[in-house]
Formats: sequence, structure tokens, C-alpha cells
Amino acid sequence: MPDMKVLLQDAPGKRVLLLGNEAIARGILEAGVSVVTTYPGTPASEIGDAVSEIASQAGLYMEYSVNEMVAVEVAAGAANCGVRALTAMKHVGLNVAADLVMTLAYTGVRGGYVIVTADDPECYSSQNEQDNRFYALLSNLPCLEPSDPQEAKEMTVYAVEVSEKLELPVLLRTTTRVSHTRGPVAYGDLTKPNLKGSFVRDMKRLVMVPAFSRPKHEVLLRQATKAKEISEESPYNKVVRRGREIGIISSSSAYNCSVEAASLLHLDAGILKLGMTHPLPEKMIAQFLKNYMRIVVVEELEPYLEMQIRAIANDHALDTKIQGKMNRQFFPRAGELSTRSVAVGLSEITGKKLPIDFQNIEEKYAKVTADLPPRPPILCAGCPHRASFFVIKKVGGDRAIYPDDIGCYALGIAPPFGVGDIMICMGASVGTAQGISKVTGRDTVATIGDSTFFHAGIPGLVNAVYNNSRIVIAVMDNLGTAMTGHQPHPGTGVTGMQLPAERILIENIAEGCGVKYVRVVNPFKTKEATAVLKEALQQPGPSVVVFRAPCTLMDAREKRREGIQAVPARITEKCTNCMACIKLLGCPAIVVEEGEVRIDEDSCADCGLCISVCPYKAIDGSCAE
Amino acid sequence: MREFNIVVAGVGGQGTLLAAEIIGAAAVKDGLNVRVSEIHGMAQRGGAVVSNVRIGDAVFASTVLDGQADVLLGFEPLETLRNLRSASEKTLVIMSSERIPPTELAAMNMKYPSIEDVLAKIHLFTRKVVVVEAAELAGKAGSRLAQNTVLLGALAGAEEFPVKTESLMEALRELVPKRHVGVNVKAFELGRESVRKEQERA
Repeated sequence: MPDMKVLLQDAPGKRVLLLGNEAIARGILEAGVSVVTTYPGTPASEIGDAVSEIASQAGLYMEYSVNEMVAVEVAAGAANCGVRALTAMKHVGLNVAADLVMTLAYTGVRGGYVIVTADDPECYSSQNEQDNRFYALLSNLPCLEPSDPQEAKEMTVYAVEVSEKLELPVLLRTTTRVSHTRGPVAYGDLTKPNLKGSFVRDMKRLVMVPAFSRPKHEVLLRQATKAKEISEESPYNKVVRRGREIGIISSSSAYNCSVEAASLLHLDAGILKLGMTHPLPEKMIAQFLKNYMRIVVVEELEPYLEMQIRAIANDHALDTKIQGKMNRQFFPRAGELSTRSVAVGLSEITGKKLPIDFQNIEEKYAKVTADLPPRPPILCAGCPHRASFFVIKKVGGDRAIYPDDIGCYALGIAPPFGVGDIMICMGASVGTAQGISKVTGRDTVATIGDSTFFHAGIPGLVNAVYNNSRIVIAVMDNLGTAMTGHQPHPGTGVTGMQLPAERILIENIAEGCGVKYVRVVNPFKTKEATAVLKEALQQPGPSVVVFRAPCTLMDAREKRREGIQAVPARITEKCTNCMACIKLLGCPAIVVEEGEVRIDEDSCADCGLCISVCPYKAIDGSCAE
Repeated sequence: MREFNIVVAGVGGQGTLLAAEIIGAAAVKDGLNVRVSEIHGMAQRGGAVVSNVRIGDAVFASTVLDGQADVLLGFEPLETLRNLRSASEKTLVIMSSERIPPTELAAMNMKYPSIEDVLAKIHLFTRKVVVVEAAELAGKAGSRLAQNTVLLGALAGAEEFPVKTESLMEALRELVPKRHVGVNVKAFELGRESVRKEQERA
């Protein structure tokens, strides 16, 4: 993997292959952003990770905050002392931070402040695919939408400028295809970070009691009008191509698909590319509309642009025909767009024939996939969650209800465990469990990861204690934020600056909150963990069981570093091919070939779980319980 | 230049991301425009993964349009099949013979298809197929973990691939951990030879 020191090079003009998120990290250095906060979440994670690697060398401050709300609070505090700041998060993180962001728009900021929201059309790694451009509309904050890594870097710098001009936070909205696309990025000049801020007492500006909020709302609206002027002049809103047949208006990765789809169909299309999508450049759009009889708005997810463009057409009394997904749906509103879906939509609108026979491809492809075994993501070989789920299922069976949370352990829903009955957002397992337990009286085991526990589990825990809810909270503590790349959290003892810190132990928090029954178990010691979980379910009030073992990927990396080789488990002649290990564990390292069970030596992590479940004691290994 | 599209398909953990990144970095070294799209996060956990690499001046979108892959680089037979939508008669399929049976296969009472079945399905789309004994060649190079580099070498051996082999090697040296460079360079060469031989025979 690339060494992030490449981002530090003082080499203007140099071209480097960067991931969209790494390009944003470079933008941070070019803009002189000095405080970076984040909570990891796909597809935003690599922004914080890249910065974490280079922060001390670059002379800026970086932290993995406990959640997105706190991340924005920390950065907003710094930005209100005149220091440039940036917070990165995935789209749903902005829901967490929204309470703050909506009113931060009133107070504004003094140092440039950028909030990166990385949306995930297609839900590649998310629970929903909300379109966060609506947060710009809702909050009146400016919004920028890059379409590739080069723009991601440039717009980070530009966002800081716009923010300082308007004294408002600026949203930088990417999508998976922008954040997770690599492309050549040309470096600009670096700006030395300045971490020294000064706090100027100004209650009317910063203390949002009603008497001060009302005038600040007026200020915000005035700034939004100024923002519109900036948008009219923005180099990122531009007609990139003129044409005679139709006019296309697009942004972000939909723009990329539009350009290619138009050339695929040999359309003589004019294209207005919008990079600043809030506020929209009304005059520029009206002028573009005037030049065409027909306008097609191509955008991912919601008809955010289309809605406003229709309003602009109406205000300017234009009879240009506008098509997209509102009146009649030419492009899908769910999922991400592709060159194909855009070409299909454009072909329907214009009547131009598609040069590729997609129908034929689909027919052939259907023959290929008819009996193609699926390969969904699964828990890794050696994953401690597998051991935890084995124990939880053994104790709770089908009788208990299992509210679930956001993390790798969401994969517990897959066979053979099927543990996971309701999963909505970060921390929700703990709260939903209480409602379910209250009205069903059934055993309820909420499963929540360590990082998620810190992020949003604690208020729910306090609520469970105070209202004496009879639930078990199983904290699946694998000692890191595993799913997003093993970022540290308050339970790990390391900070975003990669410095040691005092660990905050989950069991101490639970005890401090007044939980009477708190235990820590090693999930691979299945007998002991089983006994503890049984006891936990007997409690009259809430109980907390921390299943603690490191993520196997982290563990393996550590062992490789130390030169320790995993000794794979071995199936002995006692094996009867009863398939108990297969049926109970679903471990990717245990495979069946010609009816016989075999352990794949390349993938076995030597966790020993199969050894402890085999009814015939037919598996040998160094890690037997 | 004409655009060149590569679809890299495999199973999470096989090193498809690194292979795609090496191709992208090498393309930049050659002064080419390139887009590499990746999928991170949950999908990586032993699931099916795919990266797209697109090279060319007129490349904007980061994913390959259906039927437009020049090379489908399959790290695993089933995953090669899963990505055939990107293929057409012009596509060269370079596929590792190394099978990774999906975990649910046994539970679902399904069988891993034979290599003949796999090839027959690929032939619905294209006749241009090269099967690479990636595991064996990686083993020969010194580590079974170097299968991704064997396949990268195989890609370098493909006709019309627009990136210079020296640039690929340079990117490989930069992106692979130092202590593994030797093995990977060897794996790369074995992969390249295998495709060269295959193409000469054809």
C-alpha cells in the first residue's frame, strides 16, 4: 500500500496517482488546514487515515473523535478561534452531527472550515443511500461536489477559501466513486499549517440563545445570497461543451457518466457541469436553459438539481423542456448511475439508438449466473465475532431476540448464525433492545462493537440502567474500528496522532453507569463465555458482557511483524465428515471437497474454534482451548 | 490513444486492490490518464470484489461499460464468471486456475463447477482466454501470496496493453513491502512468460 509521505512532497506540478480521499488529504496540506477530525466510515475513512499517518510531520493536529458530532464540535471550536479545520465523515455521520451543523450555520466560523460528507449511492458499505446535498439546502451552507480525485483536491482548497469569505462552514460532498477512485493528481503549493488560534469573546455571535439566534438567522440568509454570487462566478460551475441537440446539466460522478454516454450515442450535447451545487448559479443556469429546447438533468439519487432547475425555469418563464427523474423517470433514483444507465436514459429521451446491445449481454449473462454460487462478504477465518456468535446462538437460540449494530458483526446475520434481528444505525441496538424487551418480555441480546459502543452506545446504556431494562448488551470488542481499517478508538490506547493514551475500558464505563452484572470474556474460551452469557440472561436488569479478542486481521499483521507463523489446524483420521464444524461455524478456512472436510492452510488463522466445537475431537492444532 | 479497460475480479484478501493500484501508478508514470475504481469496507470481507482500471485520454467514468473490457483479469474462476458482463468477443480473459470455493457452497449443496464448465461459459462471451496457473507459479517464485503479481505479469504480457513493463515493475517495487520485492519480481516474470507462451501458441 502507498506510503502517505508522498502527500508531503513539496513538488508543485508533480503528478501522483491518488485515491479521491488521499487527494482530499493533499488538499488539506495545500490549504493549510491545521485541525482535522473524523470518525471513520466507508467511503470517507482514508481521508482521516492518510492525515493520521502524516499529521505530526506536517505539523497539524488530527484526531479520531468518538463520533461525528464530537468531531464537528472539536473542529468548530478550533475554527471559531480562527484556525483552519476539516471534518470527514460518511453520509450518515452527518445525521449524527446534524444537530450541531444546523446551528453552526448560524454562528459561522472564523477560520475556514470544511465538512466532508462521503455519500454511498448503491449502499456498498452503508445502511442507506441518502443524498446529503439536501443538508446544504436544509442548512443554507454552501456545497461543493468534485467528480474526480484532481477536483477533490482542488475543491478542498477552494472550500476553505469560500468558507473564509462567507465565514460559514462548507460541505464537500463526495460519493463512493469519487472517494474510492484513483486518478492522477497534479500537486499545487503547500501552505504551512497554523495551529495557533485566538478566542475572541462575542456572545451575540456564538451563544445561540433565541435573542441572538434570530438575528444570526438573518445573517445566514444574507451570507447565502453572497454565496450565490460566488456560485455564479465559481470556476467549478461551467459549460464544458456546447452542442445543438440537447443541454445536459450534471454533477459529481454522474457528470463522468454523462460525458461518456453522450459520446457513446454521438449526441451533439452541450454540458453544464456543476461543481458548486449549493447555492446553484441561477443566472448561469437560466442562460444555459435559454440556449436549448431540451434539457436533461443527470444526477445520482434524488432529483436535487432537477427540482431547483425546474424552479429556475419557472422563475425565468422559460419553456425549455426539462427531463430527468421527476415527471417521468429516465434515470434510476435508487442506486448509483453508470455510463450504461445514463446512456439508456439519454437514448430514451433523444431516440438515438444505443450502439451496444445490452439486452444480448443480459441474456448471455443470465446463462452464466443461473447456477453461479453467490459469494457474499463473510466473517474472516479466525474472526473473534464467529466465536462470540457461536456462543450467543448456543445460549440464546431462536428464543432470544438480537438487536444488532453497525460493524463487521452485522455479518452475524449470515448462516449458520442468523444472529441479527433489527439493525438501523450506530448505537441503535442498545435502545431498540429496550423497547423490544419491554413489550415482548423475551430474552434480548444487543450486539454492538467496541467503536460503536463509544460512538453511540453509552446514552442507551445509561437509559437501560436507569429504567432497569432487562437486556444483555454483548459488546463485541475486537480492539479497533475493524471494518473501516482498524482505526483507534478510546478503548485502544492510541490516538489519531499515533501517540499513546490512557485506555478507557468498556467494562469500567458499564460499571460506572451502574450496571450490576459486568463481565469480560474471551470468546474463544467458549465454555466460560457460555456460562457467563447464561448468567447474564438471568439478571433482573441490564447486564454487559464484553467479548474481547483482537480482530484476526490485526492479530495476523502483528504476528507477521514478529515473524510468528500461524500453524493451521489439522483434521485427523478421527474425522467422520459429520459436517458439524461446517454447520456450526461457516468458517471460510474449512472447505468440503468431494464430500470430505479439509482445512485450507492458506486461510486458517489458527484460532482454535473448530477444535473446540468438533464432537469427535478430530481437529488438532496449537490453539486448542 | 484508444482507451484500454481492465476489470480485475477476485475475492477479498486476494490482492486485487493492490494489483489495480500498481497498474494505475504505472500508467501515471507513463504520463497516461487513468481511473482506478475500488470498493472498500464491508464488501472486502471474503466477499466478491472487483476493481476497474481505465486508461485513456477520453476516460471520465471510473467503471467499465458492459461489454467494453479489453482484459478481464480474473483472480478466481467463479469471480471471472461473475464479471463477464464486462466482456465481449474483443475481450481477453486472463484467469487464474486457483479455486476458492465460497463458504456457503457446502451448506447450499452446490458444487464448484469444473474448469470445462467455466470455460464454456466464458466462451459465450469470448474465445480469447488464457488460464494461468497462478498458485503454482507464485509458489515457484517463492510465496503463494504472490499470485496477484503473477497475474499482473500475465496482464503485462497481453498484446496492446498500453503500459510499459518497466513502469509496472517500478510501481511494483514502490508499492510492495520491501522484503517481498524479490519474490514479487520473480512472480511477475513468471506470469508474463506464461501469457507470452500462450499467445505465441495461439
